[in-house]
Amino acid sequence: MSFAGIILTAVFVNNVVLHQLLGLCPLFAAAGSRRAALGLGLAAALVLGLTAPAAWALQHLVLEPLRLGYLQTLAFVLLVAGIFRLVRLAAARLAPAVHRALGLHLPALAVNCVVLGSCLLLVPGLSSAWRSAVAGLAAGAGFLLASVVLASIQARLRTERVPEAMRGLPITLLSAALMALGFLAFDRALLANLIG
Amino acid sequence: MKERAFIGGLARQNPLLVYLLGLCPALAVSDLVSKALGLGAGVILVLLAAVAAARLLRPVIPERLQPIAWLVLVAALVSLVDLAMQAYLPALRQQLGVYLQLLAVNCLILGLVERLARSRSLSRCLRLAAGQGAGFTLALLLIALVREVLGSGTITLFPLGSFGGVIRVPGLSLYPVRVLSLAAGALLLLGYLAALAGRLMARGRKAEQRSAG
Amino acid sequence: MGYGPGSALRPFPAPHLHEGPTTAGMMFSVVLCLLPAGIWGVLLFGQRALHVLLVSVGASLLTELAVSGLFLRRFTLADGSALLTGLLLGYSLPPAVPLFIPAAASFFAIAVIKQSFGGLGRNWLNPALGARVFVMFSWTGPMTRWQAPLAAADVLSGATPLGLAKEALSHPVPGLRGPIELLLAGLRPSGLRAGPLSDLLQRLGRLAPAGYGQMALGNVAGCIGEGSALLLALGSIYLFVKKIIAWEIPAAYLGSFGLLAWAFGGLPFGAGLFRGDAAFHLLAGGLALGALYMAADPVTSPLKRPGRLIFGLGCGALTFLLRTWGSQPEGVALAVVLMNMFVPLLNRIGGRPISREAEQ
Repeated sequence: MSFAGIILTAVFVNNVVLHQLLGLCPLFAAAGSRRAALGLGLAAALVLGLTAPAAWALQHLVLEPLRLGYLQTLAFVLLVAGIFRLVRLAAARLAPAVHRALGLHLPALAVNCVVLGSCLLLVPGLSSAWRSAVAGLAAGAGFLLASVVLASIQARLRTERVPEAMRGLPITLLSAALMALGFLAFDRALLANLIG
Repeated sequence: MKERAFIGGLARQNPLLVYLLGLCPALAVSDLVSKALGLGAGVILVLLAAVAAARLLRPVIPERLQPIAWLVLVAALVSLVDLAMQAYLPALRQQLGVYLQLLAVNCLILGLVERLARSRSLSRCLRLAAGQGAGFTLALLLIALVREVLGSGTITLFPLGSFGGVIRVPGLSLYPVRVLSLAAGALLLLGYLAALAGRLMARGRKAEQRSAG
Repeated sequence: MGYGPGSALRPFPAPHLHEGPTTAGMMFSVVLCLLPAGIWGVLLFGQRALHVLLVSVGASLLTELAVSGLFLRRFTLADGSALLTGLLLGYSLPPAVPLFIPAAASFFAIAVIKQSFGGLGRNWLNPALGARVFVMFSWTGPMTRWQAPLAAADVLSGATPLGLAKEALSHPVPGLRGPIELLLAGLRPSGLRAGPLSDLLQRLGRLAPAGYGQMALGNVAGCIGEGSALLLALGSIYLFVKKIIAWEIPAAYLGSFGLLAWAFGGLPFGAGLFRGDAAFHLLAGGLALGALYMAADPVTSPLKRPGRLIFGLGCGALTFLLRTWGSQPEGVALAVVLMNMFVPLLNRIGGRPISREAEQ
């Protein structure tokens, strides 16, 4: 698939949140604040952009040649944990402001399905580490999009009187559901017709 | 107090509906009843094994390394379950796909392992783990039943002998509400379930307050 | 469908999120302006269409009564919004749908999209359009079975102009320069009920270039209230004059869409740039209904001019995208639904945030 195809698929057709249903826990937690949602999305994009190519390399250069495919889960989990560690260390040393800003989000993401799930889903179908990096970034961008839009909707809802039973998580879930409904517009057929 | 360990996981402390742990796989695999049962079984197996193993290993592992140790432990156990499923239930494994492997970072499992590793009573912590696992599976099953019956008009179980595995619901299987079997439907359903659970909890709390005061 | 605010009645002062004249008055004005198109649709498509409209309006009112009465302890039927939603929903359904579909759609629109968020003025998604999308994906088959206008009772055939165009995109017809030719070829299905109405239509249709006249009048297969761009446009004039609809959104929507259709619409047919059949696309499908009556819903669209213009532009672009390359012939509902998501963000354009509380 072309780069455009990879990007559009990752952001719209197979949106991490609205299609694959990953990363819901941190997403809903961050939906309370637009700033937090933005930070979460950016953190996700950054980490995914780094982790996806590493995972690709791990899978295609180590696990498969050595016939260790059954270690995929374990290997990926350790890889993700390792990269998170590295990112935090690097941020703390090189850009303390960024580290402080990301600090709250990284732990949430680390123990969450977004990064692991995206890697597991993207890596098998891609043909190079470079493409994986693009796909990872795009998936993160899709997450960022969903996160920011959801948070902005929730911000507006907070100024309205939502029925008591629905306040908090239920209405967030409902908003996400309606967003997912809209995203059904982006399907493989559209992509194929557009990019060919 | 002791009774609550198991039953609590099913109702008041239901991990999925009350604490909303382990959402991602829950929503993704609840479009078919068989997938829900499969994942639920996986969760229970991994939970019990992980909790027991963690309790045994805790004295041996330095405190600083414990989080990563539990992560490796759970990932290893998930891999075992994964391989077993590939061998004995390949079709189901294919359907569950990535979401089975994602149990390795499931907040329910990891959270319980961390908490119960310190527990003093093996039987109690096993009962708690079993209760949470069962509660999770029950909630997942509930969501899957609604989603599949209304969303596809079927109930997909496991083929057994001459039974093909798929029950068709009369009427609904002609014009099912397809959106329910999509991601949007899952989020929708969970939203209303969470509202319902919240309402019930609030009522329970009010009743308790009234009887206490 | 939420024209006008409940917020006008709130005790606290500015910022008001949504302003406007009295709710019920506006609602009923819109309903009145919509009626000609609906009556025309019933005349063209027969009793079936009337049943669909009755069910969609009835279910809408019933759901509103039940939900608001049971859960919100308020009776809100009098504000007319449920009536409007039901009507718009009915208009965007094909005439031959099984009657459970308008019922389900109305229920979804009122109970889920509107009331779960708190009722009138509090929803971020347009109820009629959101419900249409819901129903479109849930029961795609029945939602894409069309009926030719003025057909004899049992004839259930006929493709919509957009459907024909979409077909042509996937199975190119050599020598075809644009979608209108397909329409002309298919405009005379067998089994037409002869009579004064069809005579009138033929005569009126000849006033405009071939094919376009029929489309403007609505003498084509399609949804109940969507067909007659002419009647819808006429009805909307009153609403513009009375400032019930802001002009920015329909203008930006139709303008951007028309421009794109003209510039790029010819490409799939091999006719080159700037040879697109804008008139066809502007008259086809639910664009008139969507752009004039639904996209500009004050509750679910931006408050200020810059935001509104961007919103309209986005709707136009998305509609064009989805109609040309999407898997379904029509794209209006999905386009507006997608843009509705961005409205809270669009409201931040143009200066001060709406409320300090919302800032975090």
